[in-house]
Order: sequence, then C-alpha cells, then structure tokens
Amino acid sequence: MEKLDIPQGTLDLMILTILSREPMHGYGVSQRLAALSRGEFQVNPGSLFPSLYRLEQDAKLKAEWRPTENNRRAKYYRLTAAGKRQLEQHRERWNRATFAVTCVLEGA
Amino acid sequence: MTLLHRLKSIVLWIARRDSAEQDLNDELQAFVDMAAADKVRAGATPAEAHRLAVLELGGVEQVKERVRSGRHGGWLDAAARDVSYGLRQVRRNPGFFGVAIATLALGIGGITAMFSTFDAVLIRPLPYADADRLVMIWDALANTDITSKGNSTPAEWIEWRRLNTVFTDLAASQPGDATLSGDGDPEQVPSRKVTWTLWSVLGAPPMLGRVFTEDEDLKSVRVVVISYGLWQRRYGGASDIIGRTISINDEAYEVIGVMPRSFYFMPSREIDLWMPASFPGWMRTNFTWHDAQIVARLKPGVTLQHAREAMTSLSLQVTAKDFRGPHPVIVTPLREEIAGKTQTALILLLGASVALLLIACVNLTNLLLSRGAARGREVAVRLALGAGRGRLVGQFLTESLVLAALGTLAGIALSVPAMRFLERLVPEAMGAGRVTLDWRVLVFSTALGLAAAVTFGLAPALRGSRVAPQEGLRGGRGTAGARSHRFQHSLIVVETALAVALLVCGGLLLQTFRHLRNTDLGFRRERLLTFETPLFRYKDFDRRVAFVNAAVDNVRAIPGVVSAGAINLIPFTNFATATFYLLEGQPKDGFAGQAALIRNVSRDYFATIGAQLREGRFFTASDRKSSLRVAVVNEPFANRHFAGRSPLGQRFKFGELDDDGHWFTIVGVVKPIPETGVLDEAKPAVYRVRDQCEQIDDLNAGIVIRTAVEPASIVPAVRQAIWSLDKNQPLARIQTMEAIVNHQLSTPSQSTTLLGAFALLALLLASLGIYGVLSYAVTQRTNEIGVRMALGATSGRILVAVGRRGLELTLCGLAIGLGLAVIASRLMTALLYGVRPDYVPTVAIVSIVLVGVAAVACFVPARRASRIDPMLALRHE
Repeated sequence: MEKLDIPQGTLDLMILTILSREPMHGYGVSQRLAALSRGEFQVNPGSLFPSLYRLEQDAKLKAEWRPTENNRRAKYYRLTAAGKRQLEQHRERWNRATFAVTCVLEGA
Repeated sequence: MTLLHRLKSIVLWIARRDSAEQDLNDELQAFVDMAAADKVRAGATPAEAHRLAVLELGGVEQVKERVRSGRHGGWLDAAARDVSYGLRQVRRNPGFFGVAIATLALGIGGITAMFSTFDAVLIRPLPYADADRLVMIWDALANTDITSKGNSTPAEWIEWRRLNTVFTDLAASQPGDATLSGDGDPEQVPSRKVTWTLWSVLGAPPMLGRVFTEDEDLKSVRVVVISYGLWQRRYGGASDIIGRTISINDEAYEVIGVMPRSFYFMPSREIDLWMPASFPGWMRTNFTWHDAQIVARLKPGVTLQHAREAMTSLSLQVTAKDFRGPHPVIVTPLREEIAGKTQTALILLLGASVALLLIACVNLTNLLLSRGAARGREVAVRLALGAGRGRLVGQFLTESLVLAALGTLAGIALSVPAMRFLERLVPEAMGAGRVTLDWRVLVFSTALGLAAAVTFGLAPALRGSRVAPQEGLRGGRGTAGARSHRFQHSLIVVETALAVALLVCGGLLLQTFRHLRNTDLGFRRERLLTFETPLFRYKDFDRRVAFVNAAVDNVRAIPGVVSAGAINLIPFTNFATATFYLLEGQPKDGFAGQAALIRNVSRDYFATIGAQLREGRFFTASDRKSSLRVAVVNEPFANRHFAGRSPLGQRFKFGELDDDGHWFTIVGVVKPIPETGVLDEAKPAVYRVRDQCEQIDDLNAGIVIRTAVEPASIVPAVRQAIWSLDKNQPLARIQTMEAIVNHQLSTPSQSTTLLGAFALLALLLASLGIYGVLSYAVTQRTNEIGVRMALGATSGRILVAVGRRGLELTLCGLAIGLGLAVIASRLMTALLYGVRPDYVPTVAIVSIVLVGVAAVACFVPARRASRIDPMLALRHE
C-alpha cells in the first residue's frame, strides 16, 4: 500500500482529532490513522513526527514519557487546552467548507 | 503565548542538544520496537520483524533529519550545527585552513590599510566647512624656471577682494616670526600673519575664545590665536589661557582664541600661532612684495573653470602695475595643494594592494577548488546515505562563511599595524591625523573574500549533488574534469603575472630610491649640524651682521667643531627665495623671466659645507663691506648665460635693478646644490657674502657646523655658545643635515619599502599557488601516472613532464606580467623623480627570481610524481 503524503494542515487536524480522545504515542497515532481511514492510507512517519514536534512547540500538545501496556517506555502526546480550542476552530471551518462544497455540488 | 513557547523550545533544543537528540532517538527506537512487536505477533521472525519495522519508519536517520528541519527554528539549529562543524573542519585541517585564512587576511588587511590611508589623505574631509569650495590663488610665473607659481602680494589681495565676482571672500597669509619668551625657554614657533578673513573663509571656528576682527587687524592690535598643540605644550592646557598676556618677540600680546585640535592650514600642520596681518601702508599698494598665500572660497554655483577665467582677466588688469608685467593667476583646489606629491605614491600603493588582493583571491579560489574536487566523493557518499541536498549545500556554505569570517578578522588585525606604518606616509601639511579603519573598504573587501570563499566552496556541493551518487562513488577521489584544470591553470597565470608586475615596479622604485640617496648634493652631508636663530631682536643691519659673526665665532670655538658658517636659508629647508637680475649689457627691462635663487652667506660657508668650486674662488676675508661687491654663482646660472666661456669678471645687478642698484662681479662658480629640495633639480643661484648686503630682510640666520665628532654630542655646547651672547636668543630646528635629507626622502623611501613588501608577499602567494595547484594535480592523476609508469615511462620523464607544465604556466605569467609592468611604470613616472629607469637589470633579476622560485614550487610535486610506485598508484582511487 502506498503511503500518501497528506498536506500538513490536514495532518495536523487529524492528529489533534485522534489525540482528543486519548493521549497516545507516535506509533499509536500512525496505527490509529491507518485504522480509521480503513486502510486507505498510512501516514509517513517522516511527516508524522515533524508534525507532532511542531504541534508540541506550539503548545497544542504536551509530551511526556510513560510506560506502555507492555512496560516499555514511550513518549505520549496529549492535547492541551489550546489544542482543544484549535481543534474546535478547525472542525468548525472544515464543516463549513465541506457544507458549502456539498451544497454547491448538490445544488448545481 | 504560542510564540513565547515556540521561542523557548527553539532555544532549549539548541542549548540541550545532546539530550534532545537522545530523546528523539529513543522515541524513534520505541516506534521501531513497537512496530516489530506487532509484526512478531502477526507471525514474522524477530529479525524479519525488525527489518520491516525499520522500513515502516522509513529509516531512523532520515526521520530524525526531517524532524530537525521540520521544527520551528530548525534552520537556526542547522546553522549552529554547521558552524560548529565548520570549526571542527578547521581544527582537523589546520594546514589547509591556515594557508587559506592567511591568504585571505593578507589580501583584506592590505587593501583595508591602504584604502584607509588613501581616504585620510585624499578623500577625508578637511577641517573646513565645505572644503571643496576652497581654492588657493598663485601668481603664474610662466616665464621663470624657478617655479611655475609664486606667492601673491597683499596689494593683490586687496584688489581681488574689491573687484572679483566669483568668491565670497578671500584671505591672505604671510610668513610670521614668533619667538615666545617669558614663561618658559625662549622658543621660536612656526607662525603666520593672516588677515581677519581667514577664519570665515575657511569656515573654521575656534575651540576657545574668538578670532580677531577686521578692526583689530587694521589697527594692528596685539592679539593672537594659538593652536591646540601650543596651548597644551607650552601652557599646559591652562583654563585661563584666553585673555592671558604672552610675550612674542619681546612684545606683549593677548591670547584671544585657541583653535581645535583637528585644525591646520597651509603651509604646514605645525603652525602654532596666527597673528593679524596688519599690512603697513606701503605694503597695500606695493605690487612687488610677494610673500602672501591667498585662499578663497568660491561663491555657490561658481565652477572652478569659471573662477579661473574670471580671475585671469581680472589679474591681467590689476597686475599691470607689477614690475614683472601683467600676469595671470593660477587657481588650484585647496585639497590638491595639501595632498601634494604623495598623491601619486598613494595611488600606486593602492594599485599594488588591489593586485595583492586579487592574487589572494585567486589563491583562495585555487585552494578551495582543489579541496572541493577532493571532496566529490565525500559528497556522493553523504548523498547516498540520505543527506538532503539542501542541507549539504548549507553545510558547505557555512564552512565557507566560517573561513571568510576568520580570514576577515585576521585581516582587520593585520591592517591595524599596517596603518600605523602608513601614517608616516601622510604628508606634513595634513599632519599626524590618525588614519582610522574605513568601514566601507572593510565591507567591500570582506564581501570580495566572502564571494570567493562562497563561490568555490559551494561548487563541490552543487556539482556533487547533481551527479548520481553511484557515479560519484565509482569515479574515485574526484570528478574534476579537464575544464576545471584549465580554469585553475589560467588562474595561476593571472596571479603570476600580477606578482611579476609588482616585483618589477618595486625594483624600479628601488632603483630610483637608491639613485636619490646617492645623488650628489654638491656638498658633503656627513657630520653637519644645522640650526636656525631669529634676527628680529637686532634692529639694524650692522648689529645683525655682528651678531651672526659672533655666533659663528663662538660656535667655531667649541671643541670638536671643524668649521662653521652661516646662510640665510639652510639648504632643503625652504622653497625658493628668488630674485630677478639683470646682466651687464642687457637692456633695462631684460630682467623679465630671469630669476635666480639668492642666498646670503658668511665667508667660510662654502668651506664648511664642503661645496665644490668649478672655477674662480669662494669668498675671502678681503671681501668686506667697503670693497668690490662680489658674488658666486652656480653652474646652472653660468651655463644659462655663459655657456662655453668663463663668467668670471662679468657683472650683474639684482634686487635693486635701477641706477641705484649695485653691480656685483662674479668671482666664482660653484657646483650646483639643489637648494630648494633634495628631489628637485638645481636651479640657477647666486650667493653673496653677508657683509656686502645692503640690507637684510632675512628673518633668520641659519648656522651650519662641520664637526669631527657626533653632531648630536655638541648640541648643548652650541646652545651655550648662543646664549652666552644673548640669553634670550632662541635656537630652532637643531638637526643634522643627514636628518634633513632623510626626511626629504621619506616619501620615496616608504613607498619603496611598502611596494617592495607587497611585491614579495605577492611572490610568496603566487608560488604557494603554483605549488598547491600542481601538487593537487599530481594527486588527482596518481592513477594516470601509475599507468604511464607501468607502460614504461621513467621517473625522470614524469618529473620533466610535471615540472614542465608548471614552468610553462610560470613563463606565460612572466610574459604577461612584464607587459603589465611596462604599462604600470609609464603610469608611475611621477614617482620616479625624473630618474630614468633602467629596465634591463630589474627585469633580469625579477625573471631569474621568479623562475627560480617557481622551479622549486614545481619541483616538489614533480618529484613526488616521479616517485610514485606504479603498483600502489594503480590501486589508488
């Protein structure tokens, strides 16, 4: 399966969405992404990690090392309050955009 | 908020890079572990699972790199890493970088120092308001061969002020005579008498107090303006200097102003005191009293050309009353007057430093090209390992910038002592103003060095990243082709040519200088002490003569003194004091154009200085006031009028040319002494003995003393000899003739030294360049050479082949360089002081030196080539 290269903005949105449910490590995010998209695409870790780091720099995420289920150590990311706000804004915008497009497509 | 957090994260990453990197590494490792665990659960073997997991990640290093560059401020982190990488490179390759930095430093330092001096002398603003509007006005003496321009008269100044249309105002300045006494040792200080308009014309306000007014000038009020230097030196910078009464020439004067430290005006920086000119009534209408220098300010909008034309017609009108007939004036910009002859020297040296900079850049380029080509493989390897092309280019760029930065710093450090040395080249009139670092030049030469460093440091990265990695890896040590070799070789030719040109010019200057040093001055200059003492305190003629004679007698009595004599103007210390003369038999108005230097001497002056008699005799005791008036003339005078026959017995008049004047009989001809300056040619001159002068306007007496011992050792005794006659009589400018001559030669001396230094540096750099390029070529072609040797070429032939290439380049450069040198020497004739250069020895020596040095530079790599073991070479990559 090819790895699709997703535009950064969209990737950020998806990361924030996934992490809004529960904190997760990088591997977990990539697996969840693949699962949620029904295997349509797997995100390239070479894009995922830079996004995670950027979001962390912008205080949208907070990272901390925690033991996993198997007692390994992994770096978990979770959403901050600011991140939550950003997610809401993005979702709002996305919905409006898709709504508009859908209207156009259906109305035309 | 976000921004703050962002900034914090950027700084923390850089500050704690090691732990951050470790953190990242652990995180990615964890990813791999977890992915591998999943795959094992799905049934893969651990080894296989691991491999797949790594593939899924996409390569740990690549992802790390993407994280690093993808973060905010990632570029900053990259830059910091590159700089430290660059510095590590420098530490690891000290040889290469040492040479590269030294090369860059020489070029930048040299040109920075040179141009800063250039700026200080020729471009930096003078301490006057709007200095480019100021001009000097001279009388044009087209028809004498003493000098082409002469002093004006106060009477002319008055008329110019009244009648001209092109100047806002004019000022006149005459020689002053000031002996300070009373609050310290009697001291004669350089001074000028100036009209009150000087200060407004120059636009130079005083630092303390005020300047004198028109009223004070016209009424001869005894006020003075002094220099900063005098204020500090003699009065200790006293705060009550304004209003203080000081004693000048035994009269009371009030100090009313002090000029700023940076102020100076013609004729030299050392003027310490300015008095009101206060022209007496007769001087205002006398068009024959030529001792005034006139400075004027152009009106706004008036061009120099316009002023020249206006003044020419005006002066012809006004000077109709001049006994020499009407004459035009010469108007020159003040700046040109002040810069003087040093201008040519500076231009030459600036050219030389440009040449040196070019050579340095060429060398740097060659060095970087060689090194760059050798790194082609490194680039290929790194690309294959996954380094981003952009990052690679960035890294090389930073390395070049580090090189450029270090080279520039070294260059600045180098330029500081260089400038101190150059300061002494700055002409006297501009004085000891500090030459400071000119930031514009620094910026320019830094930019140049940067450009060279960047261009040829980047080349390998850019080139290598275009080549597919496999090729780069296969192609051996480098991928440099024939084209790059040719480029490098032509660079070598260029820098060799420049070095040769510099060497030849340096050689010519050296020739000139040696000629000047050894030139026959017409007398013996060793062990000759001189000094001047003013005569103003002796009001009448007889008392002056008596004083001078007594002074000479006293000095002669000092142990260690062989003989002593007096003259009104010591050789080389003054510009022309000339007079018109009329030979017996010439019509009454035939004097026009006939001028000669005039000197009044004591009887044993000629003997003291060791002048050489061509025919007749010098003065003797029988030449007294009441006896026949006699004169000694010099050879140029004699040749001018009596070529081929003897002038002895001929009579002429000078000074007073009408019937009241006395006839002087020529009794001797002396070999020429270049009275006006060591570097000038001897002008016609007449000498008469003091006792027979009608009146002496001479302000000073100059005394010359031939000693059997070190001249400096009798100085205290000399002072005693004068003070025992008159304890308030000052002595000024006590110096040996050698010192005077050396001082006159200082400009050519320093020019020669500097140019010589530049030339030798250029030679050094050029030969390093040749060595470097050839050495690199040998390394590159080790393979090829190995093949040739395996095929039968002897080591001797290899030696010759490599050496020959180098020598070809050298000879090519030599030829071009000689051509350049001929052109350059035409341009610098002014600096050759009329000495006709003898090209042959200079060219021969330079050629031999160059070929010799180049041969050595070629030999080393050539020998290395010839000793290559074919077996090793063939395996060499």
